[in-house]
Amino acid sequence: MAAAAAAKIAEVRETTRVERIGAHSHIRGLGLDDSLEARHVSQGMVGQVSARRAVGIVLQMVRDGRIAGRAVLLAGQPGTGKTAIATALAHALGQDTPFTSMAGSEIYSLEMSKTEALTQAIRKSIGVRIKEESEIIEGEVVDLSIERPATGVGTKVGKLILKTTDMETVYDLGGKMIDSILKEKVQSGDVITIDKATGKITRLGRSFARARDYDATGQQTRFVQCPEGELQKRKEVVHTVTLHEIDVINSRTHGFLALFSGDTGEIKPEVREQINGKVAEWREEGKAEIIPGVLFIDEVHMLDIECFSFLNRALENEMSPIVIMATNRGITKIRGTTYKSPHGIPLDLLDRTIIVPTQPYDEKELKEILNIRCEEEDCQMSDNALVVLTRICKETSLRYGMQLIMTSSLIARKRKAHEVDVEDIKRAYQLFFDEGRSVQFLKEYQQEFMFNEIDEKDDMEMETI
Amino acid sequence: MTDWLSLLKTAKKSSIIDKNLKKVRYELNTGQELVEEYNMDTGVLTRRAWKCTGQFSNQEKWDIEIGEPEPNYDSKGDDVIRESSGQPTVSRRNTKTNLEWRIRNLPYPVNTYTVTADTDEHCLVVRTSNKKYFKKLPIPDLSRLNIMLEQANVSFTHKFNTLIIAYQKPKQLLDFERALYEEIKNIEPQNQDAIGSNFCN
Repeated sequence: MAAAAAAKIAEVRETTRVERIGAHSHIRGLGLDDSLEARHVSQGMVGQVSARRAVGIVLQMVRDGRIAGRAVLLAGQPGTGKTAIATALAHALGQDTPFTSMAGSEIYSLEMSKTEALTQAIRKSIGVRIKEESEIIEGEVVDLSIERPATGVGTKVGKLILKTTDMETVYDLGGKMIDSILKEKVQSGDVITIDKATGKITRLGRSFARARDYDATGQQTRFVQCPEGELQKRKEVVHTVTLHEIDVINSRTHGFLALFSGDTGEIKPEVREQINGKVAEWREEGKAEIIPGVLFIDEVHMLDIECFSFLNRALENEMSPIVIMATNRGITKIRGTTYKSPHGIPLDLLDRTIIVPTQPYDEKELKEILNIRCEEEDCQMSDNALVVLTRICKETSLRYGMQLIMTSSLIARKRKAHEVDVEDIKRAYQLFFDEGRSVQFLKEYQQEFMFNEIDEKDDMEMETI
Repeated sequence: MTDWLSLLKTAKKSSIIDKNLKKVRYELNTGQELVEEYNMDTGVLTRRAWKCTGQFSNQEKWDIEIGEPEPNYDSKGDDVIRESSGQPTVSRRNTKTNLEWRIRNLPYPVNTYTVTADTDEHCLVVRTSNKKYFKKLPIPDLSRLNIMLEQANVSFTHKFNTLIIAYQKPKQLLDFERALYEEIKNIEPQNQDAIGSNFCN
């Protein structure tokens, strides 16, 4: 009995993947109050009050949806929360507004031209909310079995048994479906709906019949009745698709499968024109609604002059989204030219943008951020250690300081302590170099490294070639 | 006689003959496209399909109302979800006097099934006492002519893992089919070689 229970737990563990902690996973929103004033510490955001307020106003602009083709530039030193603000904006906009995040260097690909990549990114950021009758499967999960091939490679096979109060059906699952079922953590006893065309899974809650299965359930667990009647129903659903998705579906014969595989290739301009016409038609008939979203381009100085002039033109279009760019460069060369310009962006595009600066954090704010990160990374830290770590951040960089949280926590765990102390921070500080000390080290021991015989003069010649 | 008949009469029609089958293609005023296939020996409709296009894509699909469903050759859809091949499937076939449904892969004995005529929703409802199968079967033939359903016309048998439901054709439907068949006989069939098959195969 006990062995069986243990096996059961192991099985559940296997299907539920651990969520990983990213650099910005502590951010849940912009942390603004109703009047769009920034609260000092809220929703994972600290400081940067004026930048957050400015972005709050941009948020309002996006929500109103009437202004098209504006550009916003987040400019500031490295580690001042530009990407964090963009992530926060994405959270604040919610599920339904398209938010595309890309890095400037993503557009360089051998498979598509730069402008095609930009066009796709722009079209990914415009949503169409449309009413459609679609086939959905709604039922309670009776059993879910997923078999992996013993060799570890090859396709997974899955079977899903769903029931309503009147019937029961066995479904075969494809690879992508298995992945999304694992991602949604579907278990037997859940009541789910599956959109048959897109494969989107929604968990409605747990069945009342299973309410007594566990003594402890999460607070958010919702209990629902097992559905009645047929498993497959036709329902009018409102969903948001992006223009890019419609493009892809129409660009080749095997429609939405290309969306899953991701290799969309270049899309013909005729297809886009046709889609634009169709969307305009739907809009006039009142069938669809356009939701302009946000395109976020990080490291925007990596775009070259051609991209900038393309952006200039694209922003004029009334279907274009709000473009938010971020850069940590000062006055620097525009890529693809020999001209220098502020932020590496040509002046004509800069003229069209509103610029939001971010300031370096002060010591109090640094401490607050470190505190939030400690919580996020599940690490107990004593007050003294936090003060020391804050000072390290101040001297070196915030990113380096955040790296030390996990490392010193592991060091603390090794000596079986519950809390990270000053000693552990010191040890981690000695073990791992920050950028400043690394540079100093290199300067001192330059002679012992490889290829040090290439002197400055040769270097210069190499560059001119 | 009825709106539906006049709609079919005014539709742009074309037809071809393939052995003893006469295939008729209607282009309705509503923009829909319908294909019917008649056995000219017996005068019975063997196939009826509607063309439907997706909302987002220009992909064409045929919605088979009567006749065997299209075999699905390309299993490209294996990234999503579909019913297991052992699950019950419904197909329709009409005879001279009956509308018939065949539900294959139903292994339960005959006394588990109940078939009721739901007059509110204009469909037959199949239920099983063991709660394993439930299906609403719409009857577009009757709802297009606004004929009410009657429980007395329903009968069913179970053989070889198949549940066969029969609904006796009411008099109005028989009258309508006779009138339409007269119309169809008058359509001049085009040479098949010249036009090629319009049908979905």
